[in-house]
Amino acid sequence: MEKLYLASYSMFIISLASIGYALIFNPAYWIVYTISIVFIPTLILSFGLLVMARGPKEEDEDKTKEPFIGY
Amino acid sequence: MANILLNVLIAFLVGSILFGLQRKIMARIQMRPGPPIIQHLLHTLKFFIKESSFPKTAAMPFYIAITAMLCVIWVAAVIVGPVTGGSLLLIFAIYALHKIVEHNAGSSSGSPYGKLSCVRAVFSAAAEVPLFAVLIIIYLKSGTMVISNIISYQTIHGPLLYSIPLAAAMFFVLILSKAPYSPFAITKGKDIVSGYETEHFGLLRGYLMISESIAWYMLLWVFLTVFVGGLSPLWYLAGMIVLTTITAFINATTPILNPNHSIMMQVSFAVIGIVGSIVLLLYI
Repeated sequence: MEKLYLASYSMFIISLASIGYALIFNPAYWIVYTISIVFIPTLILSFGLLVMARGPKEEDEDKTKEPFIGY
Repeated sequence: MANILLNVLIAFLVGSILFGLQRKIMARIQMRPGPPIIQHLLHTLKFFIKESSFPKTAAMPFYIAITAMLCVIWVAAVIVGPVTGGSLLLIFAIYALHKIVEHNAGSSSGSPYGKLSCVRAVFSAAAEVPLFAVLIIIYLKSGTMVISNIISYQTIHGPLLYSIPLAAAMFFVLILSKAPYSPFAITKGKDIVSGYETEHFGLLRGYLMISESIAWYMLLWVFLTVFVGGLSPLWYLAGMIVLTTITAFINATTPILNPNHSIMMQVSFAVIGIVGSIVLLLYI
């Protein structure tokens, strides 16, 4: 989970910086489109991964160890 | 960039409100009070702060990446559509990718409901992609696939809705199949819980709902732009409300069809639409 948190945090910073760059410096169209297509979704996803509620640590093991009974 | 951000935000907000409106109308038809119109929007935001966990059987990181993929394609659609007035072929490609995302979201979760939905996504693609072939009729009539040129064509010759009505009907069936509770919504039929979204809960469900709201807005936008012409923002909103109301009436009064019937009906619509439109183009 810690790895996920770190990855989300870096993704969030990179996305925010890229969108800020495109907003302030007005680069070529293809760069703006690439930044929009890649970093708007990444920004939303990383924000979600950062703000999502996490269950208590003691329940974590129960959740991951629970056998899959779907089939 | 600001233009793109604004358009994506508008697409999300309007799409969410229209989904809420649709649920409200459906509820009133079925003699229920129904949820408030902003309920879909509130649900989307609420899912972001709900506790999330990822199933042990999920194919990570694909399970998360596929939700981002849905958002990527519909943000791209906003750029191709309202922002640049680009080619309809790109919108067609985005729609085809949407079917692939439905398929992969179902298979990546490891849930049997998701897997059934993943099979149905392939099944329905066989019927929905030919419906999108309506674009060929538009090309045959207007001589262009570029949205801005189609708008110019309609400014001179009048809305395509009058000259190729069967093509418009076909596209409407396609829109209908993407509406929640639609008779053609076999990938999310209640017999398979929530289909490919069953194991995407918490923030991932909220994320999928954002993309679906943008998708709904974009499909309505494409319909209005391609068959009615370039409109002012207020007329776009009015048109979207009318289309959403019609889909709500249909969805409230028809059950979800079983996959075989759904595909057969869509294929029938596609055949009648394509052949009928070509006959209309040749003889009228």
